[in-house]
Formats: sequence, C-alpha cells, structure tokens
Amino acid sequence: MYTILICDDDRDIVSALDIYLTSEGYQTIKAFNGKEAIRAAETHEIHLILMDIMMPELDGIRATAKLREGSNVPIILLTAKSEDTDKILGLNIGADDYITKPFNPLEVIARVKSQLRRYTSLGGAEKGPGLLSAGPIAMDDGAKVVTVDGEPISLTPIEYNILKLLLSHPGQVFSSAQIYEQVWNDPAYGSENTVAVHIRHLREKIEINPAEPRYLKVVWGLGYKIEKGA
Amino acid sequence: MNKLQGNVIAKLCAWAVLLAAAFGAGIFGVRAMLSFGSVADDSWQNSSRYYNAVNERRRELVEGIKLSQQLEQLERQMEEGTASPLAYADAEALREERAKVEEQFSRQNTWFRFRVLTDNGQTLLGTNLNDDEAMIRAVQNVHYFSFELWEGDIYGNASYYDPETGEGYSDPPTAGLNPETEAAPLKLVLEYGVPEKIDDSIQDEFSQIWSMWNMDRAAFDQYLTGFLSLGALILLALVWVLWTAGHRAGAEGTVTTWQERIFFDLYAAVMIASEVCLAACFIWTAEQLYWGAANVYSIPNQDFNGFYKLGVMGAGAFFAAGVGCAALLLRTLAVRLKAGCLGKTTLLCRVVTWMVKTIHDFLRFLPFTWKLVLGFGAYVVFSFWLIAVGRYDGVFMLMYFCLQLVLLLFLSWWAYGYHRLRQGTKTIAKGDLEYQIDTRRMPYDLRLQAEDLNNISAGLSAAVDEKMKSERFKAELITNVSHDLKTPLTSIINYVNLLKSTDQTDPKAAEYIEVLDRKSQRLKKLTEDLVEASKASTGVLSVAREKIGMAQLIDQATAEWEERLTQQRLTLVTTLPEGETWVYADGRHLWRVIDNLLSNCAKYAMEGTRVYLDLERGKGQVALSVKNISREPLNVPAERLMERFVRGEESRSTEGSGLGLSIARSLTELQGGSFDLAVDGDLFKAIVTLPQAN
Repeated sequence: MYTILICDDDRDIVSALDIYLTSEGYQTIKAFNGKEAIRAAETHEIHLILMDIMMPELDGIRATAKLREGSNVPIILLTAKSEDTDKILGLNIGADDYITKPFNPLEVIARVKSQLRRYTSLGGAEKGPGLLSAGPIAMDDGAKVVTVDGEPISLTPIEYNILKLLLSHPGQVFSSAQIYEQVWNDPAYGSENTVAVHIRHLREKIEINPAEPRYLKVVWGLGYKIEKGA
Repeated sequence: MNKLQGNVIAKLCAWAVLLAAAFGAGIFGVRAMLSFGSVADDSWQNSSRYYNAVNERRRELVEGIKLSQQLEQLERQMEEGTASPLAYADAEALREERAKVEEQFSRQNTWFRFRVLTDNGQTLLGTNLNDDEAMIRAVQNVHYFSFELWEGDIYGNASYYDPETGEGYSDPPTAGLNPETEAAPLKLVLEYGVPEKIDDSIQDEFSQIWSMWNMDRAAFDQYLTGFLSLGALILLALVWVLWTAGHRAGAEGTVTTWQERIFFDLYAAVMIASEVCLAACFIWTAEQLYWGAANVYSIPNQDFNGFYKLGVMGAGAFFAAGVGCAALLLRTLAVRLKAGCLGKTTLLCRVVTWMVKTIHDFLRFLPFTWKLVLGFGAYVVFSFWLIAVGRYDGVFMLMYFCLQLVLLLFLSWWAYGYHRLRQGTKTIAKGDLEYQIDTRRMPYDLRLQAEDLNNISAGLSAAVDEKMKSERFKAELITNVSHDLKTPLTSIINYVNLLKSTDQTDPKAAEYIEVLDRKSQRLKKLTEDLVEASKASTGVLSVAREKIGMAQLIDQATAEWEERLTQQRLTLVTTLPEGETWVYADGRHLWRVIDNLLSNCAKYAMEGTRVYLDLERGKGQVALSVKNISREPLNVPAERLMERFVRGEESRSTEGSGLGLSIARSLTELQGGSFDLAVDGDLFKAIVTLPQAN
C-alpha cells in the first residue's frame, strides 16, 4: 500500500489522477499548491509525489528543491511546458521523471509504477561480472535475463545482443553499421537498415513511451545510445 | 573663490588702488624723468639748462658791449659836436642801462666769469675776473665767442672750445652779411664760463641750476623707488582686476557688459589713440616742467612753485588716465577671452570669418560636377602659370613637385574615403544593419553619401528589429495560449479516458466517446504543432548544427515509419548514393522535417502506391526528395501548400493540423537549407536541400 501525493492547482486533474491511482490500489493525498505539498509531505509518509510546475504561491520547481533538502522520495513533474530547458531544469533540481501535459493516464500509471519499484527495491540490481544496468534496465548476461524495474522482458537474440552492446558502452553513440558489424559479425553492405527496425522493437519493449524514449535514445543522423547515468 | 571674484567692493577697491597707484607713480615718474639728466651727467655744467643759461648770459653781455660801444660813439659825437641836440639825454639813458649790466655781471651778483679781448688777444677790454685769476682755472669750461662790432650792430660766430678734451667747433662767419660800410669792423673775442664749485652765497641762475642738480641727484633714487614700488602695486591691482573681470556675484559663467558689445578693434583703436594723446600730454608737461625749472629766475618764485606742483600733479593725472585706459582695454580683453567671444566681437575677425564661410559654403554647396570642373580648371591654370613664368630651375621643379604632391594627396584622400564608403556599403549589404560608416575626415560629398547610407541602414535596422520583436511577441503569445489550452485539454483527455473505462448502456455512447477521444487527441497534436510552427518560423529555436549522416537518418526514419506506411498499403522505395552522405544540420530538427514529410505521406498518399525517398549529392549540396501520389486531387498551387493551415484537400476531414509543411520549411531554413515543393498532377514532391559536409 503506497501513498502518493498529487499536487496540481487544477482540481479536475487532481481528481482524475486520484481516480486512476486509487483504482490501481494506491492511497492518495491531494495538494493544490507547493506549500500544501510540503506540509503534506511533512505530516504523512509519502512514497511518491506527482507535482505540477506552474502553481500559485510556490511553484513545482521550488517545492521540489525544498523537498529534496530532506527526502529522496521519487518526484515526477507534470508540466505543460514542453521546452527542453524546463525538463532539464526539473531533472537537475532533483526530480526523478517528468510527464508533459496533456498526458496519457496510462503513461502516468506506468511511470508511477516504474518509480515506485525502483524506490522500493532498495538499490536495484547488484553490480557484478555479467551484470549490466542503466536506470531501470538490468541485464544478467550469465542468465541471459533482462529486467525493467525488476520485471523480466522477453527479447529476441538479436535484440538481446544489441542491448548488450549498448549497455556495455553507456553514453556512446553506435551507428547502424557499427551495430550490424558487431552483432551480426558481418561487414555491413547496406543491409544495416534492419538494425533500425530491431531497435524500434527493442525500444517498444523497454520504454514506457517509445515516442519519447528515456533510456534507449535515437541520435538522429548518427545512431543510437543508452543514456549515461539514467 | 567665486565669491571673492564676484565681490563688487573688492573690485571697486582694486580700481581705486590701481588709479591711485597710477597717479602716484605718474608723479614719481615725472620727477624721476626730470631728475634723470642730473644723475646721468658727472658735472652740472653738462646739462642743457646750463648751456641755455650761459648762452643767455653771453647774449646779455654782448648786448652790454654793444651798449657801451653806442655810448662811446655818442660821447665822441658829442665831443665833436656832431651829435643831435638831445644826445645828452640818450647818453644818460645808455649809461643807466650800462650800469645795470655792469651790476648784473659784477662778481657780487653772479658766478658768471668773462673776459673780452681784441681778436688778436692782445688787449683786454673788460672782465669780472680778479687780477690774479686765470680764466682757464677760474671756470670749468671756457667758452669762446668771436664777433664783429660795427656801428650799432653785431655779427658774430659762436665758437666753442673745451680745454679738457681739446674739442671744439667754429662756425665760419656768415658771408655776405657784411654790408658795405666805410668803418672797419671791430673784431672781438669773448671768453666766458662758470666755476664748477659754486654755492648759495651768490644767488643767480647758476646757483639755482646747481642746487637743482644737487637736489635731483639726491632725490632721484627715491623717485625711482617710489615709481617702481607703485608700479608693482599697479601690476598687482591690474592682475586682480583681470582675474575678477567678467565675474558677478550670483551669476554663473562670464558676465559681459556694454563694453563688450563694442567691437574690440574699435575699442582698442580708441583706447590706443587715447594712450598716445595722454603720453604726449605727459611728455609735454614734463618738458614744460624741466624748462620751467631751468628758467625759474625769470619767474617770481612763489608763482612758480604753485605752477610746478600743479604741473607735476597734472603729469600724474595724465599717467593715471593712461594706466586706466590700458587697464580698461586689458579688462575687456580678459572678459572676452573668458567668455570666448573675442573673435565674435572683433569686427575684422567677423568680416574675415564671414568671407571665409561664404566662400567655403559656396564651394561646398556647388554641384559636384561644377566642383570637379572648377578644381580641374584651377589645377590647369596653376600649371600653365607655373610653366609660363617658370625659369626651369630648382625652385620651379620644387613648386611643380609640390603641386603634383598636393594633387596626389587630394586624390588619395578621396580614394581612401571612397574605399571606406565601399567597405561600409558591402558590410551593410551583407546584412549587418547595425554597421555605421565612419564619416570622420571624409571628403564632403562622400560624407553626404555615407551619412545617407547610415541613415538608411539605421532605418532598416529599426524596421527589422521591430519585425523581429513583433514575431517574437507572436511566438510568445502562441506559446502562452497553447500552454493555457493544455491544462483543460489534460482534463478532457483524462476524463474521456475515464468515461471509456465505464460501462455504457447505450451503444451509441461508446461511439460518441470514441469521437471525443479522437478529437481530443487531435487537439493535443494541434496545440503541439502550433507551438512548434510559431517557434520555428520566428527563429527562437536553438539550432545546434553538427555533422550528421543522411543515410543513417533516413534509415532511422524509415524504421519509425515503415510499419504505419505498410498499414496504409504504401511501399517505401529508398534510393541512396554509395556510402554515407554527410550534412551540417541539427539532427532533431532534420528528423522533424523527415517525420513531417513521411507523416504527410501516411495521411494523404493514395493507398497501394509507392513512396519514393531519394537522396542525391553534388556541387556541395545534398538533396532529399520525397515523392508520392496524392489521394485527392491537388488543386492548390505548391506555394500555398506550405502556408499554415493549408491542406491538399479542402474538406479537412482527415487528421492533421495543416502545419506540417510549414514547420518542415521553417526548420529546414533554420538549418541553412532550402525547402521546395512541386505539384505535377497528383504527383506531390518535396525537396529538402542542405549544404554538404566533408
């Protein structure tokens, strides 16, 4: 039974989120501005916070900064601002994830679940030989098992090998031709366009919102990479 | 400091001190001048006063000799009985007069010493020397005078002899003045002089001159000291007057008076004329006093003392007036200099300035063609003159060389100005509208041109700024509006979703919810596109251009879209050149361009047709073209398709915001590329051209 703090100045959005999260079996606390959120976080045991950015009295960014002073509870920012700079600012200030408005309720639930699993699994997968991880993605090369937030996912051998290549070099950009040569062990003669398709499938399996990937990123015109430190 | 400068009392005091000191200095000055002669000479007998007095004595003596001659003649005639009946009375009168002269020349009454001799020097006719005295020892300078005595008249020539230096002069007897007379003239020589050492025991003009000489010698130093110290005081007061000139208590800056409204040269002329007059008066007074003092014996003493004092005072007044005039002139000069209006208030300067300005303006505002013609004419005339009068020597060569040098310098000046103008124009033409051409030291005509250009560029720059500002404002407005739209839209999407999860008894309700869902999703897409379109077209998006591979990008894009295109039964045909094709672009923006184009294909292409994706490179350019067959007839010109909210079909029944092509074009142009559309029947073709990277 996890308690989730929902904070938004729009009461209808709070109610809608309340309905979704309650139906998923979470307990919710409502707040309508940053100050109420901080007060609620002090008086209750909170496991996750959904926080809007544009709010009266105390905005989401300042509230997040304030909460981070004494807590590492996961915070997901809900933002109507779609500019990159806002997202980067939010993440730098200590938020764990962000969702842009107007959001899909299913995506919200998926992200909430993902954050809760990571928060409660206390450190996640251990580091060790044959163990690779990035964010919620963990790969046990010995057992040939890949988990996302602890949930095992099924991958084809090619998808598995591509993921292994990318995971073992986080932050490095691999072009389709390089991936093809390393995974297929064949020189690439224009047949590398299959790589892109495989990666799209892989992304759909790993990412909550494949159109807006958080971990397996497309570097347009150059290749693909696993986000470093994600 | 300012308070002191503006103090009226201090000013008046300074003027009073100046005039008083000048008056005193004038008095001391004239006295010093009068006594200067006495100091300059070692002997009191070198003064012209002495000469005048001694000459006067000589004249009287000669008159006396003439008298006694006449008396002798008369007595002789009386003895002979040829005299007129009343000759006795005449003789008595003559005797009286002679006695008076003898009295005058007696040793008891004068320091004058004389001897009268016949011209051979043998016979002594008369003297006032003692018997044991020699003339040469009795007096300082012995003067000689020879003259001829006829009956009743004297013709003489002065001769001077200085026994100390041996110098002397002698005028020859005036020829032709001797009338024809039966009696031979009596030739006489007069020796006379005055002793060097005299005193007040005998009162005559010489004792007077001597005592004045002594007094002058004693007093000169005092006079000079007085004059110099008062002169210093005058200078001090003058400095004060000049320092405070033009300042007034409670007034900022320099205050001018009516005096400064008079032209300076006129003022100065009047003042200098006054100075000359006053100086003449001063000198005239001094001269009068000098001679007056020398001839004092002929004027009763009391009267002369009054006259002398008055004269000295008058000289002081003249001097004071002169100093006052000079001070006034200097004061107005100082005020004019302080106010910086000396040139403006000088008639000559005004006239010259006016003439120079008129000629300058005439030349300056002359049409350029006329300037050229006149300038060239002047050059030709000067050259011809030089050649015509030239003697073809060094000077000629030097002048000719100078002429050419001046011409060269002038042309270089022009050429340099033109070069700057050209550079500036080029810079502005390249788009730097902020650039201002430096017009300093430019020829006048070029400067006009440059200034006009600067004005144009400033106006243009302001217009562009204005446009940019309004575009930015528009983008901001759209961003804010869409942000405000997003919050209610979030609620709509969420509650529609909730509705979907509830059970609906009416089967139609599920259908309606489906419509709501679709339209809310479209609204979402529309607001996102709107923000992006406005940002892309106003250029507020940041562009990070780097070297990216087109083949890789097309590969990635194909992977994203292949599935959806296949659903629409569209076949994607990709043609790529050998190897990777590199371009300079922002990967995310270029992806959006291709994304929009492929999304267009998915939306508007006729089902079952092929979509061609061709990449070509050459001439430093890379062209990506997307071709498809439109489902609906494309009865819209290609240009209009790129306008916002325009779609190939007018019914707007299909999904899509109508912003896709507009965004694609703006993003392409942001990255320095070009975006072209071509419509040929139902064939729709979009070409993205980007600069190739090596």
